[in-house]
Amino acid sequence: MDRFLFLTFDGLSRGAVYAAFALALVLIWRATRIVNFAQGAMAVATAYVGYSVADATGSYWLGFAVAVLAGLLLGAGVERVVMRFVDHSSPLNGVVVALGLVLIIQGVLGMIYGNEFRPAEAPFSRDAFNIGGVALLSRYDVFVFAAVGAVVVLLTLLFTRTPTGLRMRAAAFAPDVSRLLGVPVGGMLTLGWALAAAVGSLAGMLVIPTELGLHPTAMDVLFISAFTAAVLGGLDSPIGAVIGGLIVGLVLSYISGYLGATVAPMAVLALLVVVLLGRPDGLFARSKARTA
Amino acid sequence: MATDSSAPSTADSLSAADRGLTLHHITVRFGGLLALDDVSLRVPPGRTVGIIGPNGAGKTTLFNVICGFVVPQSGTIALDGRPFRPRPHQLTGRGIARTLQGVGQFNGMTVLENVLVGARSRKAEEEAWAALERCGVAEHAAALPASLPYAKRKRVELARALAAKPRILMLDEPAGGLDADEIRWLATLIQEADCTVLLVEHHMDLVMSVCDEILVLDFGKPIALGPPAEIRTDPKVAEAYLGAAA
Repeated sequence: MDRFLFLTFDGLSRGAVYAAFALALVLIWRATRIVNFAQGAMAVATAYVGYSVADATGSYWLGFAVAVLAGLLLGAGVERVVMRFVDHSSPLNGVVVALGLVLIIQGVLGMIYGNEFRPAEAPFSRDAFNIGGVALLSRYDVFVFAAVGAVVVLLTLLFTRTPTGLRMRAAAFAPDVSRLLGVPVGGMLTLGWALAAAVGSLAGMLVIPTELGLHPTAMDVLFISAFTAAVLGGLDSPIGAVIGGLIVGLVLSYISGYLGATVAPMAVLALLVVVLLGRPDGLFARSKARTA
Repeated sequence: MATDSSAPSTADSLSAADRGLTLHHITVRFGGLLALDDVSLRVPPGRTVGIIGPNGAGKTTLFNVICGFVVPQSGTIALDGRPFRPRPHQLTGRGIARTLQGVGQFNGMTVLENVLVGARSRKAEEEAWAALERCGVAEHAAALPASLPYAKRKRVELARALAAKPRILMLDEPAGGLDADEIRWLATLIQEADCTVLLVEHHMDLVMSVCDEILVLDFGKPIALGPPAEIRTDPKVAEAYLGAAA
């Protein structure tokens, strides 16, 4: 039972990171109908920037803030300089361009920082503290929950309580109608990419200290898990992304704990296949009512 | 109301002739198809102007030119004597709001949120509720548009346009799919509108009852312009359009 509780909390902590990353994928999918396969590489790039600043200044928190800010700028830049000019007549075009970005970003990171794993320290202890004699959560897990929870709350407030959020949603649902209502659709898309990339950067900063460290491909496996989470929840559903992330985190934690960590990567792919075959629109997909 | 042959004034002090929306010699070609052929129109403030014609006459294309969705090969558009290049996202800033054929709504957003997107001022929520009340759909504010009957969804779209408090309201086939009661309600709304109305519509009774002036297009070419009584008896119109229905 102790083991089960530990794996549950560990899975939820990991799932919270998947949820944040899946949320970033959903934000861009809703706005542009593109699965941003470059999200992981972009997050690693900003993590390198963040840890470089942290190394140079000795302040993890400054590095953390710079990484998220770099995510905002990188996301806006990718939309304005690259994605805006992609021919959207075929969904494949955006996917191919995103995959090209992955190769470019990982290649550039390898040239600048090398292809060895670099240590990335966590700001809090990862040793679980005991509650009632059972090891449940570490301080770092609590930090992860708080950070992802804050992001979910802030995004929810943005999209439901502010005119900007309302216009971002409108621009995603029906761009031409939105333009007629005075919504600067291009600006909203840029903002959406910026926010998504910033959330991806946050997820990267949260997960990299729990893995082997910084590496140009450090987010590749996480991307697959987060993509599975987004598909499981429904690519159109932000709440689905969060719940999907938690479910994937739990499933992987139980599988790693009871069957061995080496089975986990295959389990993610198996889960993705099951979801795509059984419920390709996801658990929380809306009915076909998204076009204007 | 008359076809306008003079260039628009850019003087700051507006003469009566400059006020309102003016289209000068608009021509649009889609490849080899002449969609609009030298169309000019002046719409003074407060008037209701209908644009009619058979299918494919160029009515919606003319609306799309005014909104900036279609760029004409030649011709200019002026508001209060000042020429401007229309861009869709700047339309509401110029005081122009448009509804679309069918219902162009954000189906994942509530009725109130749909209307809030159209509201412009700091009192956006107040204006949105006022527009919903005026269109009789305030009770559905929390519903998703897709859950409403078609006529209610048309009303939501009207409310969204009215929430922008437009100087010029462009209605693209607002009576399409509505029953007689709804069309009577729509006629009252147009007659009581405190703004200029541009109306593209196939429902002749509605057009004849609410419009001050009517422009008739046929294959993109203006063939008549005048008050409803004149249009009703114009032989060119009868031949091109009304004759087929008579």
